[in-house]
Amino acid sequence: MLSNLWRRCVSGLLVVSLFGMLAPALIAQMAAKSALTGRVTDASGSAVANATVTATSVETGQTRSATTGPDGTYKLDVAPGNYRVKLEATGFKRVEIPAVTVSGAEIAVLDEKLEGEEQSAVRPKPAQQEDLPNAPSSSSTAPSLSDLGLSPEQTRGNPQEQALLDKRTRMLKIHQRMGLITTIPLIATVVTSLNAGGKSEGTASRDLHVALGALTGDLYAITAYYAIRAPRIPGTKKRGPIKFHEAMAWVHGPGMILTPILGAMAFSQKNNGEKVHGIAQAHGPVAIVTAGAFGAALLSVSVKF
Amino acid sequence: MNRKILIAFLFVAIPTLGADSQWVLQQSTLTYHVSHPLHQTDGVSHTAKGKGVCHAGECDFLIAVPVKSFDSGDSNRDLHMLQVTRGAEFPIVTVRTRLPESAAASATINADLEIQFAGQTAQYKQVPFKLETQGDETHITGTIPATLSDFKIDPPSLLTMPVKNDIPVRVDMIWRQQ
Repeated sequence: MLSNLWRRCVSGLLVVSLFGMLAPALIAQMAAKSALTGRVTDASGSAVANATVTATSVETGQTRSATTGPDGTYKLDVAPGNYRVKLEATGFKRVEIPAVTVSGAEIAVLDEKLEGEEQSAVRPKPAQQEDLPNAPSSSSTAPSLSDLGLSPEQTRGNPQEQALLDKRTRMLKIHQRMGLITTIPLIATVVTSLNAGGKSEGTASRDLHVALGALTGDLYAITAYYAIRAPRIPGTKKRGPIKFHEAMAWVHGPGMILTPILGAMAFSQKNNGEKVHGIAQAHGPVAIVTAGAFGAALLSVSVKF
Repeated sequence: MNRKILIAFLFVAIPTLGADSQWVLQQSTLTYHVSHPLHQTDGVSHTAKGKGVCHAGECDFLIAVPVKSFDSGDSNRDLHMLQVTRGAEFPIVTVRTRLPESAAASATINADLEIQFAGQTAQYKQVPFKLETQGDETHITGTIPATLSDFKIDPPSLLTMPVKNDIPVRVDMIWRQQ
């Protein structure tokens, strides 16, 4: 009876662990389901068929190409990010668009008109800082950015850095959501621990505690993955609550590894009819410290103290 | 005789009327305010640069401030704000306005502002500012009623709750006439 339960528990743990291992990749794939689509026309608005649309990722340099159909439409399945888009068709000027942003799980629409001739043209980025549109105050005497001592380097945009920031935010959003989701089984695990370590001979509450603990551990691993893999922005000095949030990770991180190991030992001892003894006795206190540090980390970036 | 006096007056007066004078931004504190159900946040920048060029009784002002220079005391939040406002792609916020030269003598002014931020341009009509002039320095204070939607910025969210659309920007500047 006990061995059956143990087998079921272990197989349950395996399933949950497998989910934990695969989930980051699945979530990443879900997040990457985005596309760039549009219609290419000539100056009169008629569809341009067989035009080549090439999107080059600013971040990775990877390119994707598509050819427009008879109705001038195209679709490129691309990951979220920033792209340089080139449109080419025989008898038309080549058009390059330096920055097109494709957001997560969205379809970006880029319709373009091609002009005749064979020369290439580079269209400036929208609202580029060096090319400010006329303000209500603009006149021949109006000061310019260079009059303020700002160099072109200071006013020029950096699409690579923006792409890095976009990726960082995407990953930290998932980190934040997964962290919130993790608190649910975490609290449930703590609550079920009240019965799991009791003197009762039944193992149902203990099994539930183990299953919830395993789920917590897996969700925690996903949460941690998105924080660890989020790109760092060069030149950023950490200030404020994030320092405490990250410091807490050095407590709950090892705790999340240690707690299930100690728990498995305690579980085994209990199931053998023994009183929990040795290092396994530390399972409870370690779990409490771990849960406390996790909660403190969550609160530190949620509530202003 | 009268004609000579008139010509002499015009020679003296015309260059004076058309003379360019300039205003230079000496000190500035620009503060944006963000409201969230769990947070009230202020981001402050002291690094704005500004210049006003006056000609024929009208002054054209340009103020520019790097988006990165706003500090809310939390580097994580600042990076998030930088991302949502596309601050790496559009690193400078610019404010342009035209005011009559005589406005410097007023206690209050209402300025029409054109603000470029996050790759978008928004116009704010008749924004009130208070002026205090001491010597050749003028202290200007006021609040620009900016919103995120004015610049097509998706409200950032914390714990799935988005911030409010209003991001009023408090302006506190000292200008010097040259």
